Amino acid sequence: MGAGSTLRRISPFLTIACLLLLWQWISARGIISHILVPPPTDVYQAFTDSLADGALLKHTLVTLEEMFFGLLLGVGIGLAIGYAIAKAPILENILSPVIVAFQSTPIVAYAPLLVIWFGSGIASKIVTTAVIVFFPTLVNTIVGLRSVSPNLRDLMRSLKAGRWQIFRHLEAPSALPVILAGLKTSTTLAVIGAVVGEFVSQGSGLGYLVTSARNLYDTPLVVVAVFTMTAISLSLYGIVAYVEWRFLVWQRRSSA
Amino acid sequence: MLILVRLIIVAAMWLGLAATAQDEPVDERILLTFIPNVQFAPFYVGIEDGYFADAGFNVSLAYLQEPEVLDLIAVGQANFGIVSGEQVILARSRGRDVVYVFEWFQKYPVGLVFSSALDLSDLANLKGMTIGIPGRFGASYSGLTTILGSAGLTEADIDLREIGFNAPEVFCLGVIDAAVVYVNNEPLQIKNLAADGDCGAVSDVDVITVASQVDLVSNGLIVSRALLEEDPDTVARMVAGLASALRSVIDNPASAYLASLAHVDSLPADEALLNALESAAEEQLEFLASAPDRGDIARSRRQLAADLSERFERGALTQLNVLLNTIELWDAENIGYSDLSSWEAMRDTLDSMGFLEDDAGSLQDMFTNRFVTGADR
Repeated sequence: MGAGSTLRRISPFLTIACLLLLWQWISARGIISHILVPPPTDVYQAFTDSLADGALLKHTLVTLEEMFFGLLLGVGIGLAIGYAIAKAPILENILSPVIVAFQSTPIVAYAPLLVIWFGSGIASKIVTTAVIVFFPTLVNTIVGLRSVSPNLRDLMRSLKAGRWQIFRHLEAPSALPVILAGLKTSTTLAVIGAVVGEFVSQGSGLGYLVTSARNLYDTPLVVVAVFTMTAISLSLYGIVAYVEWRFLVWQRRSSA
Repeated sequence: MLILVRLIIVAAMWLGLAATAQDEPVDERILLTFIPNVQFAPFYVGIEDGYFADAGFNVSLAYLQEPEVLDLIAVGQANFGIVSGEQVILARSRGRDVVYVFEWFQKYPVGLVFSSALDLSDLANLKGMTIGIPGRFGASYSGLTTILGSAGLTEADIDLREIGFNAPEVFCLGVIDAAVVYVNNEPLQIKNLAADGDCGAVSDVDVITVASQVDLVSNGLIVSRALLEEDPDTVARMVAGLASALRSVIDNPASAYLASLAHVDSLPADEALLNALESAAEEQLEFLASAPDRGDIARSRRQLAADLSERFERGALTQLNVLLNTIELWDAENIGYSDLSSWEAMRDTLDSMGFLEDDAGSLQDMFTNRFVTGADR
């Protein structure tokens, strides 16, 4: 392994280290007030304190729970409706005005309504998350299934393959790369859905932690909560990317 | 010699320009919270009727969240802002050196709204009830803690639900027994819903105000300590301008409503209502010329509400009634003045809520009444 390769591997960490040093230097020199941008040392202290008292873990678990069920619901419905639309294009004409109208409205605009309709508990957060992850899943499912080669479909039909066999051996593998690409987008959006819901109501979750820390003028804790959201988002993206890498091994082989 | 004459002329012109510039109003931004709303009428009147200009300011308004207002004032990015008293204590405990110079709301605006069918003559009856609150922070949470505390209860005795700023809708769905609200606004909305039959089984509501239990310091004008020490004259002029504008709104709400139209898009303003308000504002000016006392003026406000309610639909008057309700929270003999005891009560409330982990310092350093005396009539 050459020096160039090693440098490429460690360069992301070097970038982060440089940014942290720059941040600390700016804070130490008082270029920006600590009130507006707390120094990294204060943020680290807030991180260790919130870990020690269990607050960070508690709120993170709540947000993860909302995201998990929201993803399950949104992705499940997105896959089902996407499959139905791909198979019966008339459904696209019937449903698309409602779906596009819902999707083109910023979620923060109607999140308060979801709290009124589904209550201030976890249900409204799950629905908020489901709504935001639904659309990318739906679109990618439709695109994925429609990208299946008609020739291959005709070939399977000529071999007397049943609907399930066509789905299992042709449609699902062909659509999977596009669907997984949509899932990568959905998982990162799920954090936004859950946190928007928490901003509107409920007494726990990372969105709530941001609000309550902000109202107690604990800016370092706000930064900790924001970084935790980023970490969750990146981790989920990484998990889906790993799943994609594992499941689409055949695609890599055929490309090679 | 010619050069000397020219220099004198140039110097004279420069001095003249400088003098003119000093008379020009200075641009100043006041940071408010929430959104443009008739409850901010004193600021709209201050701008539209020239009270701020008379004080030497060309005022613009911005609407932010309370923590943002406090931080921007503390670092000197803005000179004046409106926040609630408890935010001053909390912010100072976290190193924001701000000072409260004018108490705008003389009565704490938070209370508990509930169906008139409920018996809450004894606050201990709140035990076991489901209560909605915007969130576990801010004036609502402090107010609820105070109400519970005055009944010997704590949060553990009730089922507290965070409902965001959706109290009328959630209350009328019947999900909660009572809601923590701003007493000048939401009870009116709920009453309207109930009157229209859109509030489930609720036909009317009652309100328990925090102010009826204890005097907590409320919303007011803040500045940074740096500004207070370096330029007290600017602070004094702003306080005087705001006090005059506030007194004008208290004395003539119809005129204040009309001034608010330029700043609040959603205010009902059909032609008939505008004509009625313009007439009422003119009549009120004649009435004020007879030097009435506070009691007479308060009666004139009630009369205005009664007269208009006979001529207009309830919905058209909601925002005017919000203004009239809010004026009752502002009106006082000595507007702008805050008591040490109300600061002590607020600090004790925050302490009991566990919000004051860090030392907030001396209460006397948090506020001053030095600009209030003489600002009011």
